[in-house]
Amino acid sequence: MLGSDEILSTIQMLHAEHLDVRTVTLGVNVDDCAASSMEGLCRKLREKLLRRAGGLAEVCGRIGRKYGIPVTNKRLAISPVAHLLAGHGRAAAVEVARTLDQAAADCNVDFIGGFTALVHKGITPVAEVVMESLPEVLSATTRVCASVNVASRKAGINMDAVGRMGRVILRIAAATAANHGFGCAKLVVFANIPEDNPFMAGAYVGGGEPEAAINIGVSGPGVVSSALKRRIQLGRKLTLGELAEEIKITSFRVTRVGELIGREVAAELGVAFGIVDLSLAPTPAVGDSVGEILQTLGIARIGAPGSTAAIAMLTDAVKKGGAFASSSVGGLSGAFIPVSEDSALTQAVARGELVLEKLEAMTAVCSVGLDMIAIPGDTPAETIAAIIADEMAIGVVNDKTTACRLIPIPGAKPGDKVEFGGLFGSATVIEVRGMGASDAFVRFGGRIPAPIQSLGN
Amino acid sequence: MTTLFPHAHVLNVLSDDHPGIVASVGRAVEQLDGNIDACSETVLEGFFTLIMLVSFPRPIDSQALAEKVKVAGGGDYQVMARQFVPPTGDGGGQTERFVITAFGKDKPGILLGFTGYLAGKDINIVDLFGERKGEDFVLISQVEIPARWDIAMLQADLEEIGRAEGFTVRIQHEDIFVATNQLRLKPC
Repeated sequence: MLGSDEILSTIQMLHAEHLDVRTVTLGVNVDDCAASSMEGLCRKLREKLLRRAGGLAEVCGRIGRKYGIPVTNKRLAISPVAHLLAGHGRAAAVEVARTLDQAAADCNVDFIGGFTALVHKGITPVAEVVMESLPEVLSATTRVCASVNVASRKAGINMDAVGRMGRVILRIAAATAANHGFGCAKLVVFANIPEDNPFMAGAYVGGGEPEAAINIGVSGPGVVSSALKRRIQLGRKLTLGELAEEIKITSFRVTRVGELIGREVAAELGVAFGIVDLSLAPTPAVGDSVGEILQTLGIARIGAPGSTAAIAMLTDAVKKGGAFASSSVGGLSGAFIPVSEDSALTQAVARGELVLEKLEAMTAVCSVGLDMIAIPGDTPAETIAAIIADEMAIGVVNDKTTACRLIPIPGAKPGDKVEFGGLFGSATVIEVRGMGASDAFVRFGGRIPAPIQSLGN
Repeated sequence: MTTLFPHAHVLNVLSDDHPGIVASVGRAVEQLDGNIDACSETVLEGFFTLIMLVSFPRPIDSQALAEKVKVAGGGDYQVMARQFVPPTGDGGGQTERFVITAFGKDKPGILLGFTGYLAGKDINIVDLFGERKGEDFVLISQVEIPARWDIAMLQADLEEIGRAEGFTVRIQHEDIFVATNQLRLKPC
């Protein structure tokens, strides 16, 4: 029989601290939708997605009500769209994107990921089509999310792809200038892209994944923060080790919620259960912030010395708790620091306390990278590429996933504030130092060779 | 369950709580050559209650058993005993375990309001906890809900009852509490 204290502590976590399942993402392999005619391709794609995912939102709602826990987002991910587009051109890419957009709307999901190209060792003609179509795709659709993997531990960093993405990002910003370059928020540039990530904008179905699988993203910054505050308020002198233990226990419980929901949704839909992504995913809501956890851990101004150590401890404790809770941990599994989506981080940037370089340092020890960062609209393409290259280097050398979701805000200068709305929050344009100083490095192009760590066999 | 000896009784003991109650009850059963087959105790605000399933190799009168245990406690215990008759049938069909929680400002009749509704729906309470916390009352009830009921309908009904009484009420499948508190997940 359950104890009353166990029941009450779960009720506290679910209702007082607003734990939710951040995303239930159904991954579907759509490689078998390839066809020589666009009409045939789009029809097969639409039919398969509706067949597989038509019931997703209803099932999530019903299971969420059974356990008294909301599933905030229902999403779709597909195998790389580049697999479908071989032999087709840029117009076809846009048509496929529109089909995906409509299918996602018809399935009542808010995003569909997988408009993806994997170019870490080289750019194929079809990958080029995907990359070059992004400005039009991301401005003409609302639900389609894109990702481009430009680096890996085994391949090194494809600087031709990095340089190209610098230019593409500026073109996306221009194409969505009326919405402060918002199209860039739906694109992630990766090193070591995970094949089962449920979080947007980087979700896609990698090679080796099942035909269809449910992957879960849990939330939890608010729960972790509350647990730490409760422990600290007890008044006894605590060490960081004891605080790490508290994070670990909370992470265990949060992960279990994700696993329970994921397994049941998968069983109802008749698909495989994939993974639980442990990542602490903040929202703009006050109290649901990774930055606030750092403040609770004693970093009064986020970005001050100690910030990197604090987030390293947080990420490690989250992983340890989650790994014990579930044998199906995957995706990104760390602590996200998406600046515009995290109220405490946004404020720290606005006050000038958190700078680009410190964010980069923090990403070396957490997940996932320079995420949802507004930069000046006049940042040169080569400088954007160089920022990406730095972040990719952290991923490649440290054998971890890193990523960039940079948003050049057309016409904006450092300190300007922009509102993206909803879960994307608001951002203060961050200063980019050394603009134009890396152009020659980027223009060399070619590939930065794989690090010695890649010779692991 | 199967008891060790053929002549089984259910024994209930109520006392103010202090060390040695279970030992003295156990001693009384031993003196009658009996066996304790199952037991559960609860302490509430300084009062102790014990329920035991005990069995004996020879027939014994329930009244005599209760008296023997009472004497073992120096006359301080309220004791009741009755012959154990194993439950028959399937318990009323397939059920699922849910947890109902209710929080709100305490007033008379709260427990009756909720339990009256559950009784009308043939929902069995398998564990109950209630406590005043300041001005408020916390009620936790673990229940077995017959499979024929639509959980969304029960949720709506209980929320409505809660609203009328100024209580926040939730009904959630017990697996969410098992998953977040216990090491092993139930197999799916």
